[in-house]
Amino acid sequence: MKNILKKPMIATALAMGLLGVVSGAEAQTKIDFYFPAGVQGPVARNMQELVSQFNESQDEIEVVAAYTGNYTQTKTKAQAAIAAGAPPALALMSANLTLELVLDEQIVSIEGLLEAENQDRDTFLSDFWPALHKNAIVNDTLYAIPFQNSTPLLYINAEHFREVGLDPENPPSTWDELLDAAQKLTQRDGDEVTRYGIVLPQSSSYLSWVFQAFVMANGGDFFNADTGAEVYFDSAETTDALTFYRALAYEHNVMPQSITDSKQVSTFFISGKASMMILSTGAMGFVRDNAPFDYQVGFVPGNVRNAVPIGGGSVVIFKGQEPEKLAAAWTFAKWLTDAPQLGFWSRATGYFAPRQSSYEIEEMQEFLAENPDASTAVQQLPYAQPWLATYKTIAVRTALEDELQQVIAGQKTVEEGLADAQAKAEEILQPYVDTLQ
Amino acid sequence: MLAPSILFLGMFTYFPMVSVVWDSLFSNGGLGKAPEFVGLENYWKLAQDDVFIKTFVNNIIYAVGTIVPSIILALLFALLLRSSSRFNSIVRSILFFPTLIPLVAAAGLWIFIFLPSIGLLDFYLAKLGARSVNWLGDPDIALYALMVLTVWKNAGYFMLFFLAGLQGIPEDSLEAALLEGASPWQRLRYVILPLLKPTTSFVLVIAFIFSITQVDHLIVLTEGGPANSTNLLLYYIFQNAHEFNNTATAAAATVISLVLLLSVSIFNIRILERGTHYES
Amino acid sequence: MNRKPHIFSMLAMTLLCVVAFLWAAPFLWMFVASIRPEGFGGLRMASIWPDFSPTLDNFALAFKSANFALYYFNTFLMAAGILLVQMVTIMLAGYAFARLEFPFKNTIFYAFLIQLMLVPPILIVPNLSTLVMLHLNDSLLGVMAPYFASAFGVFLMRQSFKSIPKDFEDAAIIDGCSWYQLIWYVLLPLSRPTLVAFAIVSVVFHWNEFLWPLMVITSPEKQVLTVGLASFTLGAEGASEWGLIAAGTVLVSAPLLIVFVAFQRQFVNSFVSSGIK
Repeated sequence: MKNILKKPMIATALAMGLLGVVSGAEAQTKIDFYFPAGVQGPVARNMQELVSQFNESQDEIEVVAAYTGNYTQTKTKAQAAIAAGAPPALALMSANLTLELVLDEQIVSIEGLLEAENQDRDTFLSDFWPALHKNAIVNDTLYAIPFQNSTPLLYINAEHFREVGLDPENPPSTWDELLDAAQKLTQRDGDEVTRYGIVLPQSSSYLSWVFQAFVMANGGDFFNADTGAEVYFDSAETTDALTFYRALAYEHNVMPQSITDSKQVSTFFISGKASMMILSTGAMGFVRDNAPFDYQVGFVPGNVRNAVPIGGGSVVIFKGQEPEKLAAAWTFAKWLTDAPQLGFWSRATGYFAPRQSSYEIEEMQEFLAENPDASTAVQQLPYAQPWLATYKTIAVRTALEDELQQVIAGQKTVEEGLADAQAKAEEILQPYVDTLQ
Repeated sequence: MLAPSILFLGMFTYFPMVSVVWDSLFSNGGLGKAPEFVGLENYWKLAQDDVFIKTFVNNIIYAVGTIVPSIILALLFALLLRSSSRFNSIVRSILFFPTLIPLVAAAGLWIFIFLPSIGLLDFYLAKLGARSVNWLGDPDIALYALMVLTVWKNAGYFMLFFLAGLQGIPEDSLEAALLEGASPWQRLRYVILPLLKPTTSFVLVIAFIFSITQVDHLIVLTEGGPANSTNLLLYYIFQNAHEFNNTATAAAATVISLVLLLSVSIFNIRILERGTHYES
Repeated sequence: MNRKPHIFSMLAMTLLCVVAFLWAAPFLWMFVASIRPEGFGGLRMASIWPDFSPTLDNFALAFKSANFALYYFNTFLMAAGILLVQMVTIMLAGYAFARLEFPFKNTIFYAFLIQLMLVPPILIVPNLSTLVMLHLNDSLLGVMAPYFASAFGVFLMRQSFKSIPKDFEDAAIIDGCSWYQLIWYVLLPLSRPTLVAFAIVSVVFHWNEFLWPLMVITSPEKQVLTVGLASFTLGAEGASEWGLIAAGTVLVSAPLLIVFVAFQRQFVNSFVSSGIK
């Protein structure tokens, strides 16, 4: 250091030479970013827009955004790339997969990256809604940065509500009111239902998420959010929740008696074939653009309490890449999860912005003034809790959903289905439980 | 001269066969543990896994339910369309179209076709007074709905093989049958079908392979659901290997489907070989 | 012979028309939906009757959503690359099995036929690790490599070579032809229909393949058409932009459909006379 300072000329020459070499040989660090589209709409196009905005804002890093299908496929693709020794730099992952990515030692700790810059975790996290923290923290260490978050919401067709004498300004807020409204809204031609009171998404991943909302609204816990090693699929609260859920289709006949996937659900709602649906906040952009009628959104109705699971995706950074790529990934991750970008994303998609400060930005306030429904998700946040996240989440979730689908399709009783789901989940979790003891 | 083929077969057929058998004898690693030798335990677990058993049964139903109708249709189409008039060549093209588009693309179209109430199928069925059906959402129907798609996709392809096979039937044997006063049915039963035997067994082999190795439409349409009612072997393997991180189970299930494919197909190839010897 | 065949053929014609219409219905819907304004047509979006003024918006959207030009290029490269190498391997092996005598010939031939069943998707797990070992993962070459040998092709070529009278070859050998000249100048031209038929099967199969490239390719700049299209149909958690899906499907399917319609006659003829039976 001293030597160099004594010889400024040489130092300058050296520095310039070095810079020249650096900028000449690798003008840019190119990194791959995997992102899913969890919801419908021009998500992929908006993401490309966001990424090119970043690429144009500086010269050092070029981010290549790869659209990788839905959340599960994004995990699968990342898994394959890691197995092949060429992980992407970063990815937008389903928020409930953080735990297993950590257990499989596939992602780097965000906390470590923050510490290297003398930032502390709590200050960094303080701007993010408290409900989001748990799905991003494993073993008391921060591993993921929330990017797009959602809760389930009740969407109602206001015109249908008025038509049957219900007040669309006050969507049903309890199970009793929900059932009552669904019964009034359902239309029949003989014994065939021509308009359903309510439709719920029952395809993989969505089914367990919305069902978790029912269980939690019923006072249940669903899973152990501290360890990710226990699930409570056969508890009394879960059993009662599924009994109510199933009765909507079979006893009251206000919901289809078959499995409706999320595409069907939103298509039913938009086309007026169903009067209410529960879908992600993330679907709001799509509903706003496509519903040819007045609609309203409300909280997911509670039973003994109001509670919903958090959903959505977080940015994670992968292990096993060269230092300059890691640094580039971190730079991009910070930019992407900064308040203005999160605000833009929220307005474009319907997800709520995970940073509270996004809502202080002027554009955001104007947007909320024009679209008051966009703030419902945020108002629901105080009731939000972590999303099902265990060891081998996808396997556990699939075990549950297989059984739920059999119950909904009338092939198993509520008790049988849940007992089997619990047994299967415990078998999957056993190796992890063993390591905890 | 065989060297190039043997090189690639070795790398991508024989070696993986051996390695998957080997892998199927080990447990899953993970959580800081290396895979351990467990003998046949993975197979034992498969035998007790009701999802696997369901998948296996589904695949048998799916194989029979797609192979038989598509071969019968293909043969029928080929018989009706063998002469090359303008009308015939247009119809042939239309029947062949589904073969030309990717199975994932076909599945993308059929999501919409199967959409309850609003989809193509229900929209027009409703005009005929039928009720709306949730084709892919009812566990009792979903597998059959997928089979319809598969038959639509493959029948035209198999038709082409039968057209080729019919071309190979010497005109004089048909004429001889005609002269003897054979009815169309008799001609089919006693002249055409026996001579088409090699073609039929060839198509059988291909159709069987398709029924086990093509699951693209599951990925798009049902993800094996509802409640595994449309899950097939290869998708089960795919899920376990890539979604559940359960490579041991995936390896054991792969070995089982290999055995299945090899045994059924070798049986067919023998017929095929006999047929071609007979011809030359 | 009197009126019966006539009624029969009328019946057959009608039946064929109905079947052809049913077979074509998904395509009709695809084209109509792809040019329907507003991706979402409400309750009438299933109608295959084009009761609207067409628009290309859906196509514009599709081009904006995915780099189709690149996907076309990659897919073409992949299908053509596989075919070229296959041509060489199947001709050589086909000739060996048809004409040469060597120990264990039948056993080896059966060993070849195993590949007919064990296509890469079924061996997806071990094949992916092989690609990693060879550093071919995430490359188009990796997608192609397992298909370079083709049992189906070898089988066809063997049949085709066998059907060529040996006199041709004897004459050529007397003229001083080496074995590769023999293949190139004598056998190849004579087995052209078989080669064309094989090429059709191969290109159609690989152009349309999904699961294998899905697993091998991770970089967006190496993606192929089917995988690009699937991201449209799979990404949707809410309702689908059916118009966009239809437009994407048209884009992916069009090349092969157009080629087929243009060369329909040659296509079917070569198949029919290829010796595939």
